[in-house]
Amino acid sequence: MTNVKLEKVVKRYGAVEVVHGVDLEVQAGEFVVLVGPSGCGKSTILRMIAGLEEISGGQVSIGDRVVNRVAPKDRDVAMVFQNYALYPHLSVEQNIGFGLKLRGFDKDARQELVHEASDILGLTDYLDRRPADLSGGQRQRVAMGRAIVRDPAVFLFDEPLSNLDAKLRNKMRAEIKRLHSRLGTTSIYVTHDQVEAMTLADRIAILRDGEVEQVGTPIEIFSNPANAFVAGFMGSPPMNILPAQVSGDKKAAQLVLDSETSIDLPGLADVAAQHVNVQMGLRPEIIQLVAPGDKEKPRAFVEVDLVEPLGMESLVHAKLCGHEIVIKAPGVVTLEAGSKVGVTFADEDCHLFDGDKGKRLELMVTS
Amino acid sequence: MSAVNHTKRHTTSEFDLPELSVQEKIIDSFKRNWQIYLMLAPMVVYFLVFAYRPMLGLVIAFKDFSLFKGIWGSPWVGLEHFHTLFEDPFFWRAVKNTVIISGFSLLFAFPAPIILALMFNEIRHQGFKRLAQTIAYLPHFISIVIVAGIVVNFFAPSGIVNIILTKLGMAEPTYFLTKPEWFRSIFIGSNIWKEAGFESIIYLAAITGVSPSLYESAKVDGATRFQMMYLITLPCILPTILIMLIIRIGNLLEVSFEYVILLYQPATYETADVITTWIYRQGLQNSNYDVATAAGVFNAVVAFALVITANQISKRLSKTSLW
Repeated sequence: MTNVKLEKVVKRYGAVEVVHGVDLEVQAGEFVVLVGPSGCGKSTILRMIAGLEEISGGQVSIGDRVVNRVAPKDRDVAMVFQNYALYPHLSVEQNIGFGLKLRGFDKDARQELVHEASDILGLTDYLDRRPADLSGGQRQRVAMGRAIVRDPAVFLFDEPLSNLDAKLRNKMRAEIKRLHSRLGTTSIYVTHDQVEAMTLADRIAILRDGEVEQVGTPIEIFSNPANAFVAGFMGSPPMNILPAQVSGDKKAAQLVLDSETSIDLPGLADVAAQHVNVQMGLRPEIIQLVAPGDKEKPRAFVEVDLVEPLGMESLVHAKLCGHEIVIKAPGVVTLEAGSKVGVTFADEDCHLFDGDKGKRLELMVTS
Repeated sequence: MSAVNHTKRHTTSEFDLPELSVQEKIIDSFKRNWQIYLMLAPMVVYFLVFAYRPMLGLVIAFKDFSLFKGIWGSPWVGLEHFHTLFEDPFFWRAVKNTVIISGFSLLFAFPAPIILALMFNEIRHQGFKRLAQTIAYLPHFISIVIVAGIVVNFFAPSGIVNIILTKLGMAEPTYFLTKPEWFRSIFIGSNIWKEAGFESIIYLAAITGVSPSLYESAKVDGATRFQMMYLITLPCILPTILIMLIIRIGNLLEVSFEYVILLYQPATYETADVITTWIYRQGLQNSNYDVATAAGVFNAVVAFALVITANQISKRLSKTSLW
């Protein structure tokens, strides 16, 4: 198994720099997902690893080889493309065996490897078909078959599931995970879907504007986002981010959301010494609605905008101190639009970020 | 009970829309799509006036046509003109020449724009690519008369071709255009020069439609540029190639008659005289309109059979066809 290392990798198109000195190390056998909004440079990074884009600066290593100037075919990588990139004039068998044919494998060896791959992917019955005669999921499996048949050192996936419908996407996601468990090949996977990132990755690298914002396991990223951007990007619905001010002195610091709403939080005193403007982050799942007769005392009040019932849970869109937030409440919620309702949350579930750059303020969370 | 309900659902009810008659459907279609029919109208008129109406004149192939009696006044002679035609050795010589020139054109002139398009596609420098394409397209816009003039001059005893060959050691200049053995090469070669660039546009457009990810995937798989060309580009543009081939086969007997007229001379009739030039001489020079029309009918029937056959073969082999 092979590791992949990116050191200070830069990509420029003319005068425009789109990837700004990215550092990332993917351990041998690891499944790393590059995730970020459109235009953040995740596909460009993947293509630079594949050799389809030249790097403008820095260094890309695969295993112990620096591959900056190495042709894609000599990097020992296989890539699965978003639109499958299947050759329309070739059968499934020929598509899967295409790379082997180019590499001079004889017909028997090719057939053996293709059948092995098609067994793994459940494509044995479709080997004679053309891509046009296959469903989206089957095409995607052929594309993966073409990648695994070569037994490469690294798999590169460029948004492979984004052309599939939601149901098929879930199915194929599980298949990719199973495939990785079975083969254990180092994999780098690009997606803009944070659910895919959370479910598939050993580690996630979150990108924004050509820079890595945070690298970590899915749980690390979900629980301890490095900044407000990561916090807002990961999670569905995303974390509610509210501007706030830290007031008071070290002894009696409070988080002020507006003139009527202040929140006491342990550990805030240390923040108060350095920051005034901050951002408070609350995940929709940790906010609890407080009914009028409840023992629990509300920490703030929200004005309900609308309720989206999802069956097992409901999404309550509301305004907290003039800012829109989403609350994920269990069961069916019957609240009128415009009504006021109390909310509460645990201290340790509250995230705090710097008001200007959005950087995480660690002192806030004390469990 | 449920079966009764099921049947009921399919019977006419007050909620069903009334069935339109064919006439009403046509009127309805015209009302909804009148802009499209308006755009179509000039082409329909053009074909009716210049293609279908003149076809009525084909009837003179079966008549002893006299200019004074007119088409409908001339007496019927059945297939007599076809007998005359098929017994004329010069007609068969023209058929043979047509088939040979068309066959060689198919062999050399048909692949030329495909090869050119593939080559253009490989040029990475955009400026050079545009320049090369423009240079290749230009000859198409030169009048065929001027092209013939250029060819006559180039291949004249004092022309540039003879000058070069003499410099290379050839003893005597050759008047190529009076030598029957040179006619086909010069004709096909100059036609390729004139049209290959322009015809390559169609293939370039088809190449543009090939997904770039196919090339990227092949690159990762280890394909060289040449392998990508023949393993990806060519098969992907094959439907376009086949459509163009079918069209070409349909025009197989339509050797560029004006160009032959401009280049040939009695000395080269042996290899240069084609069906269209034979028809021209019979019809307009010798005033044998009926025999010339019979040859025209023969030409059209063979072309029709060829295009049908080519279309069927293409449909069977590649699922690509004109209809």
